[in-house]
Amino acid sequence: MSDNPVLYRAEAATSLIIEPLDAVTLVYHIRSGITHIVAEPTPQILAAMADDTLSIHEITQRLSRQFDLGDAGDAQAIIEDRLAELADLGLAARVAP
Amino acid sequence: MADDKTNKPQNNQPDAQDDIGNPTRRRALMMGAIGAATVVSVRPALAQAAGSVLNCEIPMPHAGQNIDAAGKLVPADTAGSFPVMGQTYSGEQVKAALGGRSLPGASYEQSQAYIRYIRRLQHGQSGFTCFASLQMPR
Repeated sequence: MSDNPVLYRAEAATSLIIEPLDAVTLVYHIRSGITHIVAEPTPQILAAMADDTLSIHEITQRLSRQFDLGDAGDAQAIIEDRLAELADLGLAARVAP
Repeated sequence: MADDKTNKPQNNQPDAQDDIGNPTRRRALMMGAIGAATVVSVRPALAQAAGSVLNCEIPMPHAGQNIDAAGKLVPADTAGSFPVMGQTYSGEQVKAALGGRSLPGASYEQSQAYIRYIRRLQHGQSGFTCFASLQMPR
């Protein structure tokens, strides 16, 4: 898991409208017209990815500079899980290394 | 657009430098658990309906009768009437024709006659539901 070669790239910021709403965040995906109601850490992952193509490890590192992620190994596994979810939703894309 | 709201990390962000000397400055991120889905997706019914409306079809009558300028079915040899061949028009084409365009392959007068026929469709006739849904406000 820690050496997962899969790279991810977030959907362009211009195709998303992100609105924090109390404990959740609404992510409106303009291309699909679908609104996703997401919880932490998903919006933070999207923000950390910015416009870059990154490995799960790199995304975890970026997040850990900003946030206390608790146990690092667990954090990366959870982030990997969330990235897979984002890819399923079309909010991120898996990019071949 | 979302950048300023979502705290896109910057390389020169103070937290990046401070986290060794001052780790408590970083907010704990609620990570949830592996396998716990964090997403609920809302697919707008309206958007789906709009899509299906534009893809629905309105069939014209089969050959044998014509449509006159008022949109009524008349015998094929009626002067000033237009032939039909069971062709179908999509909701999108009919919507455009309601807005003043001609139906594909039809002259302006022919198109007006066909649209009048479509307007006269009754409940239960093929194409009525499609036409009715074009009338619904978005």
